[in-house]
Amino acid sequence: MHVGDVAEDFISDLPQSIIENILTRLPIRDAVRTSILSTKWRYKWSTLTQLVFDENCVTPSNDRAPVEKSLVKFITHALFLHQGPIHKFQLSTARLQCCPDIDQWLLFLSRNDIRELVLELGEGEWFRVPSCLFNCKKLTRLELFRCEFDPPPTFTGFSYLRSLNLHQVLVAPEVIESLISSCPLLESLSLSYFDSLDLNIRAPNLKYLCLEGEFKDICLENTPLLVAMSVAMYMTDDIAEHFEQSSSCNFLKILGGVPRLERLVGYIYFTKYLSIGDDPGRFPITYSHLKIIELYQVSFEDMKEILVVIRLVTNSPNLEELQISGSSNTLAAIEAPDLDFWEKECPSDCSFEQLRLVKMTDISGVPHEMEFIKFLLRNSPVLEIMSITPCAFLTERKMNMLIELVRFRRASAQAEILFIQN
Amino acid sequence: MSEVEMAVIKPEMMKSYIWLQTADGAIQQVEQEVAMFCPLICHEVIHKGMGSSKNYAISLPQRVNPAMLSLILDYCRFHQVPGRSNKERKSFDEKFIRMDTKRLCELTSAADSLQLKPLVDLTSRALARIIEGKSPEEIREIFHLPDDLTEVSGACGNCVCLASQFPYVYNFNIDYILQEEKLEPLKNTTDDPRIRLLNRLYAKKRKELKEREKLKNVEVEEERVDERSVDDLLSFINGKERDSKVIKSSKNKKKHRRKKDQPKNTCSNEATKTHKQESNGLNLVCLSAEVGYKFRPDLGESSNVQNVEDDIFVRKVDFEDVDVDDEIDPALKEKIDREVEDFARRLNSDWPERMQEILSLGQDMRPLHHSINGNGTITKYAK
Repeated sequence: MHVGDVAEDFISDLPQSIIENILTRLPIRDAVRTSILSTKWRYKWSTLTQLVFDENCVTPSNDRAPVEKSLVKFITHALFLHQGPIHKFQLSTARLQCCPDIDQWLLFLSRNDIRELVLELGEGEWFRVPSCLFNCKKLTRLELFRCEFDPPPTFTGFSYLRSLNLHQVLVAPEVIESLISSCPLLESLSLSYFDSLDLNIRAPNLKYLCLEGEFKDICLENTPLLVAMSVAMYMTDDIAEHFEQSSSCNFLKILGGVPRLERLVGYIYFTKYLSIGDDPGRFPITYSHLKIIELYQVSFEDMKEILVVIRLVTNSPNLEELQISGSSNTLAAIEAPDLDFWEKECPSDCSFEQLRLVKMTDISGVPHEMEFIKFLLRNSPVLEIMSITPCAFLTERKMNMLIELVRFRRASAQAEILFIQN
Repeated sequence: MSEVEMAVIKPEMMKSYIWLQTADGAIQQVEQEVAMFCPLICHEVIHKGMGSSKNYAISLPQRVNPAMLSLILDYCRFHQVPGRSNKERKSFDEKFIRMDTKRLCELTSAADSLQLKPLVDLTSRALARIIEGKSPEEIREIFHLPDDLTEVSGACGNCVCLASQFPYVYNFNIDYILQEEKLEPLKNTTDDPRIRLLNRLYAKKRKELKEREKLKNVEVEEERVDERSVDDLLSFINGKERDSKVIKSSKNKKKHRRKKDQPKNTCSNEATKTHKQESNGLNLVCLSAEVGYKFRPDLGESSNVQNVEDDIFVRKVDFEDVDVDDEIDPALKEKIDREVEDFARRLNSDWPERMQEILSLGQDMRPLHHSINGNGTITKYAK
């Protein structure tokens, strides 16, 4: 047992702010362990304002129960020994599910100035968020995975909330809408794995939006500051039915009020969704900030979807990057009707002055795809790379595609066409 | 203020300098753009007009000695150039922080006093990397920390317990826990038998530690975790009777401490599987999953207890049965035994309860019998 010379100890007397800076960068387990280094270190960890827990906090094991128990115990003790405010609490573990301790932790946190709360629990019985969570007035960030979310009727929103992420959360649809509207400072919203949701988003400060699920209807009613948007829409039968009957212009419902949009990403049925309803025509909205468009699973056999793509692209004068992935039936006919559609719908003076990169993936070589590529090549004076990846199972048509490609006129002298084969 | 005027009319070609004075009195001049990278210096220059000449040199905080100042200025000199790429900056940073730990701490302190946050963050990251994943021994050695935590001083239990809940994956064994305690004899000015006992305990532990050192590699555990209460150790030290089913009075120091179960939860086998933790004191963890405990809260079946204990200890190498108390007369011995037990139980009990006990200990010197106190320790007296 050696006794260290007090004069030699060169870290324990650093200011607490530095110590906390160091301890915050350690996994919570190591941070707590510093309490047994020496008497001075006993409580240095206990004023940390950021507590991040996961399975690595406890000894790993193949059995679930012991890990769960020791994790619960660890967290309970850590909170019990903690002093002062806790600004960030994060718990991500698949091993822990709904258990009464979580309610107590949340109660404790709600009394300790919690500002950022991330709760990611395992599959199985979903955790039902206790009412004390809605009393956390200072919340700026809330992330819930696999929970039941049911605010009391007296709940008036989180006035400081900037970031909301609900993933696989069971919540009534009207609750979501009112939650969003009652958080005036909301900047980032992410909703995943929701179903049959009718969503009307009114969020004047919203900048980042990420939606994933089976949405029946999306309307960005008031999101003037939106900068980036990513939507993945899954389809079910009743949603498809609903689509047939809808007559409002979906395009404008989603993209009608986002003049500051810089990045747009759409997956699966998003483009189809946009195509439903009346054609917006050559509407005057210009997306002057839109730099990146990524649309996946676009069917180039559906004229309406093609129209959506064209509208988007032609109304974005500052577009720099375009990624499109196709989803066409390979058995589609080689010849397609309305090839003169392109001359009709595309403005002849259209020019993509900033477009540098185009990536087309899952291309099956159907006529309209080729026309689209031709259109882009002809009107992009500064294009640097046009990358084309055909569908994996396409064998004979590849050669024909290449032959066509080579003929296309290019407006940009330095454009490279990359034909990618796996 | 003619020097100030001179500073103003300096020709364009000459760089302007800021004068800085470190705590030891040494004054030096530094290029302005480099020095102004430090918020504190910047503040002094702009809001207080200092630093323009030797007489008005900015006094730097005490934590900034000349060596540290030189390092910091190197950092500033590099980073204040606007045209550098992120990659360059990162690469510089990585090389910059390669220094011994002591200087790293000094540098952190100095940078903090100059409010140079990017450098504080950089050094803190480096220090965190040093600390992460190391055992307390190693950390103490690196930073020259005094090993002055003692088991007896009241509040130690909590943090020690919490910290020791997280055994290291690499090479954890019981030595670790023992070594955390100071194990130095306490001054026994009033000849308190409890303190005498404690000192004896410590002596035994120290002895055992040495023995363990030799036998380290013999233990092969899946979990590599072994934390025990003082009682188990005591029983260890005193020798267990593996073959007998009955606890003899001659070995009455052997206490059969059961693992503390979760207070409200089951006392059944499943609950007492691999990772059971005490809420306080040293932790007890079952050696392996196949050893299940039957847990009885009170004077329970001795046979069960015995068997289970056998299981725990079956992998342990035989220890000498040390019986140091032979010279004490039996009556006192019993009293002392009770004290030991009481003490050990108190070490193992929950902190709130312990608080209560400590507060009430003034009135009542007899051991308090908690038959069930949630952690359900078995108190076994063999008379």
